[in-house]
Amino acid sequence: MTTAADIRDADTVRHWFASAKHDGAPDDYQERILGVLAGFSDLTGKTPDELVAFCFLRKKDTGKRFLSVKRRVQMNEWIDEYVAQEGWQGKDAVVNANVVRGFLIHNGIAIGGQVWRKRPAKDA
Amino acid sequence: MEFKQVIGDRSTIRFFDPDKPVEPEKIQIMLEAANRSSRAVNADFVKAVVVFRDDLDDETWEKLKTPTTTVQLDLAPVSIFWYGDMSFAEGGAARLKELVDLGALPTTHGWSHTYVDEVAFGQVVEPMSKDVMASTWAVSVECGLAINQALLAAVDEGLGVGLHAFESGTAKEALGIPDHWIPMWLMLVGYAAEDRKGGGQRPRRPLEANYYLHKYGQPWQDIPGVQDGLRKSGMLQDPMDPEKRQQEIRELAERFGLPL
Repeated sequence: MTTAADIRDADTVRHWFASAKHDGAPDDYQERILGVLAGFSDLTGKTPDELVAFCFLRKKDTGKRFLSVKRRVQMNEWIDEYVAQEGWQGKDAVVNANVVRGFLIHNGIAIGGQVWRKRPAKDA
Repeated sequence: MEFKQVIGDRSTIRFFDPDKPVEPEKIQIMLEAANRSSRAVNADFVKAVVVFRDDLDDETWEKLKTPTTTVQLDLAPVSIFWYGDMSFAEGGAARLKELVDLGALPTTHGWSHTYVDEVAFGQVVEPMSKDVMASTWAVSVECGLAINQALLAAVDEGLGVGLHAFESGTAKEALGIPDHWIPMWLMLVGYAAEDRKGGGQRPRRPLEANYYLHKYGQPWQDIPGVQDGLRKSGMLQDPMDPEKRQQEIRELAERFGLPL
């Protein structure tokens, strides 16, 4: 099982922490979000660096890197699967899913986060 | 609200209160403002479809999202899909003649029914409407004028607004958009959950960077006192304070469970 300590020094994780200023957050918060990402790493079988790399492809003609729409969709499907596996509900489900998205966003992967609302959208 | 204050207060709002509905009357005011915008040859270039979020199914909303509009689309109670009508020239001659008869296009300036038929419509508007690049330019400019008036009307009504790209293929199918309408912008509307002014005015380059007097290369020179007057009237306001803004974003992220 991957732990927070296992991923803390990965380039993409260090970049995430520096960019989001998580370095200055309380230790228990840092441990919690690293734990969420570590669990996602386990589910996908990919290290944090591999998760980021997975979202990019290269154009055959120019070799230029671009964000893959299909792979972002795949990432969101894995995130949903992760939330279901962990049994997170309500705001916890949204917040923890968005921890993973925050990691991806700070590494250049624009991936839409879910929104937590006290009332479900269709109840209004 | 005073006109200059409205201009000064307008900023793109990205955090809407999802549970505070927008009064349909205010949306109509926005549409009326758009409908009163300046428009070449009095043509109906601009079209819009108003969608109240809870009236469209979740699956369609998901498809409409782009990577950077996901959060806004979930938060905004109202979406207005703006389009440009490439068939704007239809009925153009009759509309121009109506303006001639009303005196909006006066004889003193050379206007007559004959001029409309033979020159204004016959040699300018109609041929231009068949040139895709020229008509796309015209439609886009005219839509921009109308959309901006709707934006300002919304601010005047105390609403938050922002313009965004949208997934036009999905919207076309979901909203039944005809082939001759081309997508312009998605306008999200709601009451701001963030600071009503979006955290302060965004950076702008000074006038001399973009505006000129008499010829290119001769920058417009600031006239002493004008900016002071505009600050007093609210058009020029304090710039964004990044620290304060980041704190606000953290609070909003906490409220909505968003990624940070």
